[in-house]
Amino acid sequence: MRKVLIVDDAVSMRQMVSFTLKQGGYEVVEAEHGQDALNKLAGTTVDLILTDLNMPVMDGITLIQNVRRMPSMKSKPILMLTTEGLAAKKEQGKAAGATGWIVKPFDPEKLLQTLAKVLP
Amino acid sequence: MKIDLSQFRQLFLQESAEHIALMETGLLRLRTAPGDVELLNGIFRSAHSIKGGAGSFGLKHLAHFTHSLENLLDRMRSLEVQATDEVIGTLLRSVDVLRNLLDADPSVSEDEPMPADAVDLDARITALLPGESALTETTLELALLPQEPRQSQAATVEEARQITLYKVEFRPDREIFSSGTNPITLLRNLAALGTVSCCHLHTDDLPALADLDTSQCYLGWTVELASHSSAEELREVFEFVEHLAEIRISSSDRTHSDRPQQLLFALPRDEVAETQIAAQPATSPAATLSAPETQPAEAQRVFVERRKAPDEDRRKSTVSDRRQSSARPAAGGESTSIRVAIDKVDRLIDLVGELVIAHVMTAQMVEDFEPSCLPKLRESVAAMERNTRELHERVMGIRMLPVGTLFQRYSRTVYEIAQTTGKQIRLEMSGEETEIDKSMLELLGDPLTHLIRNAADHGIEAPEVRLAAGKPVEGIIELRAFHRAGRIVIEVCEDGAGINVERVRQKAIESGLIAPETQMSDEQLQMLIFEPGFSTKEEISDLSGRGVGMDVVKRNVQQMNGTVSLTSEKGRGATVTIELPLTLAILEGLLVRVADRTLVLPLLAVIETVPLRDEQIVRVAQQGEVVVIRGVSIPLLRLARFLGVTQQTVDAREENSNRRLAVIVEAGRRKIGLVVDELLGQQQVVVKSLERNLHRIDGLMGATILGDGRVAPIVDVTGIGALDLFSLQAPVNELQLSALRDQTARAAASSQRNRGGITNELV
Repeated sequence: MRKVLIVDDAVSMRQMVSFTLKQGGYEVVEAEHGQDALNKLAGTTVDLILTDLNMPVMDGITLIQNVRRMPSMKSKPILMLTTEGLAAKKEQGKAAGATGWIVKPFDPEKLLQTLAKVLP
Repeated sequence: MKIDLSQFRQLFLQESAEHIALMETGLLRLRTAPGDVELLNGIFRSAHSIKGGAGSFGLKHLAHFTHSLENLLDRMRSLEVQATDEVIGTLLRSVDVLRNLLDADPSVSEDEPMPADAVDLDARITALLPGESALTETTLELALLPQEPRQSQAATVEEARQITLYKVEFRPDREIFSSGTNPITLLRNLAALGTVSCCHLHTDDLPALADLDTSQCYLGWTVELASHSSAEELREVFEFVEHLAEIRISSSDRTHSDRPQQLLFALPRDEVAETQIAAQPATSPAATLSAPETQPAEAQRVFVERRKAPDEDRRKSTVSDRRQSSARPAAGGESTSIRVAIDKVDRLIDLVGELVIAHVMTAQMVEDFEPSCLPKLRESVAAMERNTRELHERVMGIRMLPVGTLFQRYSRTVYEIAQTTGKQIRLEMSGEETEIDKSMLELLGDPLTHLIRNAADHGIEAPEVRLAAGKPVEGIIELRAFHRAGRIVIEVCEDGAGINVERVRQKAIESGLIAPETQMSDEQLQMLIFEPGFSTKEEISDLSGRGVGMDVVKRNVQQMNGTVSLTSEKGRGATVTIELPLTLAILEGLLVRVADRTLVLPLLAVIETVPLRDEQIVRVAQQGEVVVIRGVSIPLLRLARFLGVTQQTVDAREENSNRRLAVIVEAGRRKIGLVVDELLGQQQVVVKSLERNLHRIDGLMGATILGDGRVAPIVDVTGIGALDLFSLQAPVNELQLSALRDQTARAAASSQRNRGGITNELV
């Protein structure tokens, strides 16, 4: 089963994404913020990361930069899950190495489609 | 597959309420630290989270409003807008609007226009923004989950009935792998949209084998495909890599009406196959391209289903919303659920597991009982007791919440009063982490609001008055919580004018509370403000007053088996102290016998127990019976007489006079000796409310069911302390007596019904 790491500080959002992904047949790992995500990644490998950008402790952009430095995660897809409609944020994310983005609020079916789109 | 996320709505509402509280505290702190970036970031994140979730549940007003708010906060983060009093005032009012929007009945509000206060404030927020907003309405639309099928999609599908031949040139940058993109995935997604007739591999950038870097992409592709999709849909495949690749999509204007061609794979003739494989060691792209037969009819059916789905979904969610809202308690949608950390629950499960094991072991021993295994049996029963006790504590712990969650809201109260009255007031809090039973926290809300309002409105003086009195202009209200002697103490302390005892006296005489000639100590006079119908402020101000007085504070606190007391020094301020039991549901009890009854005394109130001989009892005029212990005279209360428990036999009476005991208890601010016949032991008791089935009886806080199934009343020690003891020593009130008999009889009957280990209905 494909494993996805969900990173978001809002519990409700995390649970909604988690629920959607489980419905879509994915295994899910959850993290509260960037640092938590890095800690989780130290113990497990995942096939894809879905991360919020605005988070306490470590934001999404910093997380992406860090993940891209990990040999095991260098070429794994990372999607930004964000309400940011601002192009600047997207650009920052892309520059940091994000594969793509999903705009919150997300449509569950669309989320699954997008995931399928970037997973090899 | 239809995924229904409406089940997460309640969680979102709860979470948002927390965010709103955080925003409010943050904003109030921002006033004193306008440059605190972390604080601002926190507030921004809260608004951001609410916005993100609001869209998911179609809460468009909430989404719209938080969007504006977020906008302003973002400008504050970038220092374009300063955190002036005006800005913070507007933001604080926004917090109220958010609260209202969140509380709004979900089944009606979303189709209505946004409430007037929200519209008004929204305009105000926009007015605070310099220049034109960077986040425009178009981006906001993105932030709302589309509730209607997108029209453009319909048009696209209509057009796409015809098959178009496309030529898609995809030349990724060398760095494309660094974004986590696999070009093969993209090609596969593209292939899924139609039938690939030709895939051409560009190898012109391919370096010599020795120069190959496997982290770089050297290849490019041109795919020819026949598809029902529009060029836009094809481009969507490359949505995420537009900045990392050259993508050219061209369509031949002739439509392809023939049956899709067989998949053709054209190998570039002038390239060496081995080199390609080395450059792209995964799978050869073309080999994995597949061409599913997409039938037009099928595509249409999919579309029809999709169009139906959102409507259905909306209907469904409306119904469930109604259900949800009708299930909500009347009090403004306050949730009755508790969020519990998962590790707390895990520990409970562990404990239950241990309990089950201990039970199995005990049962086994009882089954094959031999006298020799008695010590083992004892041990095993002791283990069960330990488990049960810990389980009790942990379950109660789940109900405990830090008082900080309640304290937070008072910053706002004080801020508002300071604004309206022109006073300068600072609210200082301590002990916010002190945990208190959730039900008590709820009961505490109103009394504390009242006390804080009183302190700010009546207590703290106007700046000029303070200056004249040689005090700092800024008045300080302290809100403290701490543990003392197994109880929770909450204090509201202000450095204002203090209570004018003379005024209190006059007022009490005017309102007929006391007779003009009554002699009372200052302390007694001060306590009069807790009497019903008492108010000292000349005109009832807009802020406090409103007909409710400190008597409400007292009543609510007493309802929780707590006490209120007050100390005041003229010109120096006043402190109101509320003392509460840790929890309402379980207490450590001292079992005593009074005549033929077993009573429970809260152990925490017990200071000591002394043998009491008749000759030690001294009668003092105006005070009744007292006993002198180590030079201190302590008033006595004969529990038997007070509770109307009469001696059943002559034997008991005789035995009584010899072995009687005085249990010295701390009752509020004084010590009282309770006269009992025997100490029976100590155990944890579950407090059952009397009021639920019977009426409240002064001096009793409830009852409990003992191990043998009997009902034992629990003595309300603090309640007794607040009563006038002398009058209580007079013959007992007949009504009280009959009520007690009545209630014990009925409670005993109900306990019979409840036997079988049911210990539900924790108070």
